Amino acid sequence: MLYKLFNISLFVGSLVYSVALNAQTDDILASLSSEMKHFNKVATITKQNEIYQPYVISVFQGKELEKLGISNLKEALQLVPGIDMATDNVNTQTPIFRGSNPLALGQSKLFVDGTLVNNLFFDAYSEYLSFPIEMIKRIEVVRGPGSKTNGINAYAGSINVITYAEDFDGAAKDKVIFKAGSYNYKMAGFIKRYKTGDFKLFMDFFYQEDDKKLPTGIDGYSQGSMSGFGYNNRGLAKSGDAPLWLKDYSFGLNMKYKDFSIKGRILDHTEGNAYGINLALPEDDGRVKRPSYYLEVGYNKKIDNVNMDIKAGVKYDSFDSKDKLGHDGVNFINMVQFDTDGTKLPITFTHGIHSEHLAKQRTLYQSSYLTYDGVDNHVITTGYRFVREETIDMISKLSSWSTGDAALVDYTKVYPFFNKNAKRDTFVFSLQDEFQLSKELSFIYGFNYEQTSYRDAGIEPRVSMVYQLDAKNIFKSIYSRSHRNPSWQEMYTMNNHSRVGSTDLKPELVDAFELAYIKKYSSDTYLQTNLFYLLNKNQIYNASANPQYRNTVDTDIYGLELEYKGHISSVDKLYFNYSYVAGHSRIKDEGKNESLPNVAHHLAKGYYIYNINSALSLSGVAKYVGPKDRTNGDTRSGVEAYTTLDTSFNYQNLKHNYNLIFSVKNIFDANVKYPSPPKTYIEDYAQERRNFLISLKKEF
Amino acid sequence: MKKIIFIYLTFINLAYGYNYDSLLLKAQASIFPKVMLLDKKIKDKLVDSNIVYTIVYDKSDYDTALFIRDSINKKYKGYFGQYVYKINLVEFSNLSKETQASAIYILNSDKNIKKAANIAKEKGIISFSYDTDNLRQGLLFSLILEKSMVLYLNKDNLYTQKVDFVSSLLQIVKFVDKKNI
Repeated sequence: MLYKLFNISLFVGSLVYSVALNAQTDDILASLSSEMKHFNKVATITKQNEIYQPYVISVFQGKELEKLGISNLKEALQLVPGIDMATDNVNTQTPIFRGSNPLALGQSKLFVDGTLVNNLFFDAYSEYLSFPIEMIKRIEVVRGPGSKTNGINAYAGSINVITYAEDFDGAAKDKVIFKAGSYNYKMAGFIKRYKTGDFKLFMDFFYQEDDKKLPTGIDGYSQGSMSGFGYNNRGLAKSGDAPLWLKDYSFGLNMKYKDFSIKGRILDHTEGNAYGINLALPEDDGRVKRPSYYLEVGYNKKIDNVNMDIKAGVKYDSFDSKDKLGHDGVNFINMVQFDTDGTKLPITFTHGIHSEHLAKQRTLYQSSYLTYDGVDNHVITTGYRFVREETIDMISKLSSWSTGDAALVDYTKVYPFFNKNAKRDTFVFSLQDEFQLSKELSFIYGFNYEQTSYRDAGIEPRVSMVYQLDAKNIFKSIYSRSHRNPSWQEMYTMNNHSRVGSTDLKPELVDAFELAYIKKYSSDTYLQTNLFYLLNKNQIYNASANPQYRNTVDTDIYGLELEYKGHISSVDKLYFNYSYVAGHSRIKDEGKNESLPNVAHHLAKGYYIYNINSALSLSGVAKYVGPKDRTNGDTRSGVEAYTTLDTSFNYQNLKHNYNLIFSVKNIFDANVKYPSPPKTYIEDYAQERRNFLISLKKEF
Repeated sequence: MKKIIFIYLTFINLAYGYNYDSLLLKAQASIFPKVMLLDKKIKDKLVDSNIVYTIVYDKSDYDTALFIRDSINKKYKGYFGQYVYKINLVEFSNLSKETQASAIYILNSDKNIKKAANIAKEKGIISFSYDTDNLRQGLLFSLILEKSMVLYLNKDNLYTQKVDFVSSLLQIVKFVDKKNI
């Protein structure tokens, strides 16, 4: 009996133990599965699995860029395959993606922590290009039209800047940064975060200034700017240094409480007037302000298989210029009188033409998206985005057209430079399905449908496929259609004989075909090859002979990109890319054919970081930009190729948590020039020569 | 420029640190201890009733080893499941069969991976590798980021008498052998 009882108790005991053990094992497995899901999510959000994503994407980590001596967003973007930089007479610098229309703005979109920050006036974001790299955790650059689910059309590419507000595990640190460099550059900034319970607060701030002036050749007066109606002011042309100084401050704020979030930024950007609105070399104290302010509230909640993402926001931006537009002694006609009744009254501006131009814009937007993952192997996202864009203030002041006196006269009502009633509503509906057919093969397909209060873009589809042959060979193919709506400048510029706006403009359209092959050599080494073919239709164009903006250019572009990330030894990092682009444009109403003027057909960039030990590293950055042809009829010789080489020495003190970086840029003093349009500054727009930068960062 | 090249060449023979991906380090610090608990013979590997998780590193990777230790401590706060754990940091040069370990986690090294794999085999303990390529040398597990996180298991080393994983784990790992790593 006792023996039986002993056996039963032994059996029950082992059963209980076994059940308990199984329960424990199940808990561990569930927890392991949940951990894997968490890290998958982080990897997807942070694009660390970039080569498996259904886009052609390049990702750069802020800390690595700091090591390279990269100072700001512009310098970082110059490392991206297929991206070249262009500028204009008011120094609206813009990245050119794959040779797509280098004289147009708005071809790419910039997002800061998911918020679109392109300004409305130019549809550009040059005020953000000086954003210090120490404020940036990561830069993701999608070449081609990119994602369709956020309701924003990226035409040639999109840039996502992620600040240190992103923090998945609460491990991010506060920091202070100081920088100094050539052109009397000074910068100070900090990052501070605060967390209690479910409430998280993140703040970043920086101030920076320089007194940069770069030599320019003879100004646009020599080419006939302000000459006409029988007057020749070419003799007033000047040479000297273009004022490209900068004064910038920014305060960013991100707050999160449970499912609610608020994010905002004040960026106050002021710079010298560069090459002058009317191509007269400006005086040092002339300035352009390009402030950008935004505030966005969000609600993100997942209930069972449905994730809700609701956002509403407001954004303000301005073009605010105060300058001397014309040299002393300009002889011309009274343009106000001429544009009123055609009378040509002579006028002399003895003390030059002075001006004040302001166009202040407001953008209101609201979007709601639902994501459903309750169907096996599908993730379906749908939603809408509504946007109202409008001009809320406009000032137009000039020296007197009737007397030639230098004192400003308010022409806001009688001779405005811009339509103060500018307004556009846009509604975008999106639907997308992410379909995992098998472990190896996945698809994303969907469309955007867009209506605006002007011309509609209509339905724009996107289909992409990622095929993973094995762990080392990945193939992608993408087709997408996208568009760029005309910018405010192209629609609403008035009383300007070199730029005439039109509200009849249709959106520019692009059909993009892309193929990519990624060969992985190891967990952190790969070579990516991309082929692309872009059919651009209805591109917006104007020229001095016909200054009205119109949809008259079709451009076909094709090319190849190679991107290698890896290392030579186990202690270094090597990154290299090469891109080739070719194609041709047809200006339909002028019967002209061109082969991508102002575009470098060959670009090669790369960097190398050598970790001497855990505290010291040396790095080098090399960039080659090939020669560029001119537009038809421009008799200047082409823009010459250039190669720049930068080097940096990085010291990291782990004990006291600070970094010291010393960089020399453009070591060989290459003559870097961005092309100028014909009849402007004939010697193009010169960029920085050899310069240096020191930065100190302390983390807490 | 010549000077710069000279400096590069001068420094090239000094001690150095490897490149590590911080997300992957954190993921491995979080996931590997759980994998270890799915060994039905974990009790046989306890040292004084504790789990000893030994991180093996090259001298230049000391900071990385500390980072992993801190990540584990932050996550597990002293306990792997019901077991108290202790984390040992051991340089490759000091690793031997006498080194206390219930499991070892191996950072990168040019020369010492095979040695570490052999010691793990002799001791009959679980070995984890930062780099999947090191499974070729005989280590048992690695975790890698492809489109999603993938747990690799070297099947050449699985069927020893001293490890016995629950079958559910074996359903979620990706088996590899020397030929297809």
